[in-house]
Amino acid sequence: MFNTDPNDLKPFADLARSFAVKELAGKVAQHDRYPFGDFYQDILEKFHHLGFLGVTLPAALGGIDGGVAALCEMLLQICEVDASPGGIIFTQTLAQEILLAAGNRNLAQSIFLKAASPKEMLVAFPAYTNPAQTDSLPLVQKKGNDYNLTGRLELLVLGSLARQAIIPARHGRGPDYSFFLISLDNPKVERSEPVFTLGLHACPAVDVTFSGTRAHLIGEENLGHRYFGKVSPEMNSAAAAMNAGILRGAFNEAFSYSQKREQGGRPIFHWSEIVMMLASISVKADVAAMCVHQSCLELERKSSGYESRISAASLHVAELACNATTDGIQVLGGYGYMKEYGQEKRYRDARMVQALLGAVPYKKLDIIQKAVHAASCDL
Amino acid sequence: MFHALPPTDEGNEMKNSPEALSWLSSFPKFEDTWLGLSYAPHMPKHMVKETREVIAIARKFNDAVAKPLALKLDRLTHEDMDYLPWDLVGEANRWGFYTMWIPKMFGGQGYNMPSMSCFSEEVASACAGIMNVIGVHYLAVAGLITSGNARLAKRILREVVAGEKSGDPCVLALATTEPGAGTDVEESDLVDKGCVTCQARRVENGYIVNGTKVFISMGHVSSWTVLYAYEDLKQPSETTIGFVVKTGTKGFSFGSHENKMGQRVCPASVLIFEDCFIPDEQVLFSAGLVKKFTKKPVKDIAQRYIDYVVSATRPGVCAFGIGVARGAFEAALHYSSSTEINGRLMINQEWVQCMLAEMHKNVILGRLAYTEANNANNHRGLYRLLQIKPVYYYLKAMPHFWFDKVIAPVLDWELTSRIMGRLYFDLPKPEDQRCCSGWASVAKFAGTDLGVKNCQMAIEIMGQKGLRQDAGVEKMLRDIKLLQIYEGTNQLNRLNAFKCLIAPEVPQAKVFDE
Repeated sequence: MFNTDPNDLKPFADLARSFAVKELAGKVAQHDRYPFGDFYQDILEKFHHLGFLGVTLPAALGGIDGGVAALCEMLLQICEVDASPGGIIFTQTLAQEILLAAGNRNLAQSIFLKAASPKEMLVAFPAYTNPAQTDSLPLVQKKGNDYNLTGRLELLVLGSLARQAIIPARHGRGPDYSFFLISLDNPKVERSEPVFTLGLHACPAVDVTFSGTRAHLIGEENLGHRYFGKVSPEMNSAAAAMNAGILRGAFNEAFSYSQKREQGGRPIFHWSEIVMMLASISVKADVAAMCVHQSCLELERKSSGYESRISAASLHVAELACNATTDGIQVLGGYGYMKEYGQEKRYRDARMVQALLGAVPYKKLDIIQKAVHAASCDL
Repeated sequence: MFHALPPTDEGNEMKNSPEALSWLSSFPKFEDTWLGLSYAPHMPKHMVKETREVIAIARKFNDAVAKPLALKLDRLTHEDMDYLPWDLVGEANRWGFYTMWIPKMFGGQGYNMPSMSCFSEEVASACAGIMNVIGVHYLAVAGLITSGNARLAKRILREVVAGEKSGDPCVLALATTEPGAGTDVEESDLVDKGCVTCQARRVENGYIVNGTKVFISMGHVSSWTVLYAYEDLKQPSETTIGFVVKTGTKGFSFGSHENKMGQRVCPASVLIFEDCFIPDEQVLFSAGLVKKFTKKPVKDIAQRYIDYVVSATRPGVCAFGIGVARGAFEAALHYSSSTEINGRLMINQEWVQCMLAEMHKNVILGRLAYTEANNANNHRGLYRLLQIKPVYYYLKAMPHFWFDKVIAPVLDWELTSRIMGRLYFDLPKPEDQRCCSGWASVAKFAGTDLGVKNCQMAIEIMGQKGLRQDAGVEKMLRDIKLLQIYEGTNQLNRLNAFKCLIAPEVPQAKVFDE
């Protein structure tokens, strides 16, 4: 269901906003502290209870069937306060969508419908990579109908919180890869402590080493890129929504601070350079929100080339967020650089969100490769 | 007929003609623009040799200390919120870094000041935080020396030298920023309307100081702090008063040190003064001292003092930024040289090569910016006197005992401070000061903006690898941001560049007067 009617989305937005304000606000810095990891256990319980861990998942599989537009609206509201829980929802949705894109509905049902706890519900996924664009994936060996993984995978998001993970792995040389479901409780899986990353600290990622770990094939062999490509437009919209939320948060804090802080005997809001910076952040925040909205419409219509347009929107919003969060700190001066304020975290988180689904240059190259492919098909 | 030089209106050659001078003095003026060209013939040749030596020392230090410690110490500061870099300060002290750029007449090693920018770029390319642990000390050194108070500068700087010899470091900090006033305290035009609260009240034989300073780099580990307060909070620009205050003085304490995003190895401290008595002999700068050598308004002299300090230090901040920009470039270069995508090394893809070339260009441009800002100081500012060739070579040639036995006592004379005061504040032309201050600001915001840009590019090239602390670039992205804020935000520096380099050409232009 792709529903972009604002009236239909309002309950999702209201729910996410009230949750963010009530449960997340005021605890953001506390949940960002080193060592990273188990910050949000209580929040995860509530996420699970409210259905935030299955926003796009069909109700028959244990989700709330909200659709991508609802997911985006919720991510925007949550990330305005704290992007880390947004990262958890994003990764969980990405894993679920891969499962469904590969046609593993029964497997999804067996995991999600009866999940009694967040740990049982969560599925870890290497959300910061496009597996086709990395040469360092685990290798898979097939013995009869069994698959075994060996090798290392970096930044498995939610790897310290989830019971299971979806892992991309290769059968040999070449770009093709397959997705596999593995149990993270398997003794042949070695997990690191949560990795010290730039941001999204309450959405931890671990490095994982496999040594002959038994794995369950998702979909068909060597079609990982197809499943990843299928879910990319939805997840690019979701990533854009996260950064749109970060942008809105950056503007709100800068605007609020500018009315309290004085320079030369009057609020800095009365100095035109500050007003210009605020205007610049505001423009970026509004454009980002419109990009998210338009992406959802594109997903609904699915007209030719929509995947690339959504990818472009996501890239653009990420760039806006990286620039605006840099200025967001600047408006607050020295205070913006301190962890007691939210701006420095947004500066870090925006770059983490920008890296979701793979490195920026490859996303750009991919847009043109798709265009070339489409043009050759038209000939 | 062919003319090697075009004729003037009068038919004479253009060279040195009144018409040529007229063209050259139109905006942008030759003297304010091609600074390196004007300075080059005056530069003592030995400065090149000295700078080469400084860069070699910095690279050795990076290899032995900064690179192995950068990520380790960053992680440690996250694990232990109370971490203070005592060991690192000890190490820098052993390497002689706290006296390296103190002039020989004050007991230091007397390396030329511009070479410190090159040193800063090198060390900051490994770790901006570690460079700050060394560099902030020289912000206070600049505050001491440019005050014109030779006696007090000598006393404190000799303690620094003694600290190096004894192995017990004597590091300096400088405190201006207040909780309610950051930009305001750097501009005389703003400070009278601002919200400063650090007050010095005159008492017998000294002053009682009350107030709080924030974001003071290295405060907790410093032995002496150069402190600025105001006698009259309603007229701070007319009553600015500078002190040196020793750590441990009754009434002077430290609050927390800030929980910063980056450069965490260098603490940013809260300094609290509660009825802190500071004796007259520790007054560095005051209206009373200023009146001994000039009749100019104290407000103007206070602004000149600020300009002197920041003209010397902002090119250094540019160098910090370019160091980080270089660190990011080198990380991206290493990553793309060793990473294959679809069986092909990244570095052999054109887009990677162009991005790396762009990053390298940013480093080169930033380096040119701080070099030219230093040329302004060399040719028309703070360093000019020390780099007149006979003075430079005399200072190089004379042994330390000459300065210890002959020059040092002279620095205690009141006459010496008066002469230094006149040399620094009364004699220099306003246009020279504007040129130095403007160029320093341009370098500062250019270099630090380029630093942020390179870190962003590196993290994009490196994808998920760049997000990891153990890969280095994520720390650089955290570290670099602070450089756009301290030593005046980049917005303030843009305004100062406008005020110094552009506004004088536009009579109707007013700055800080919206």
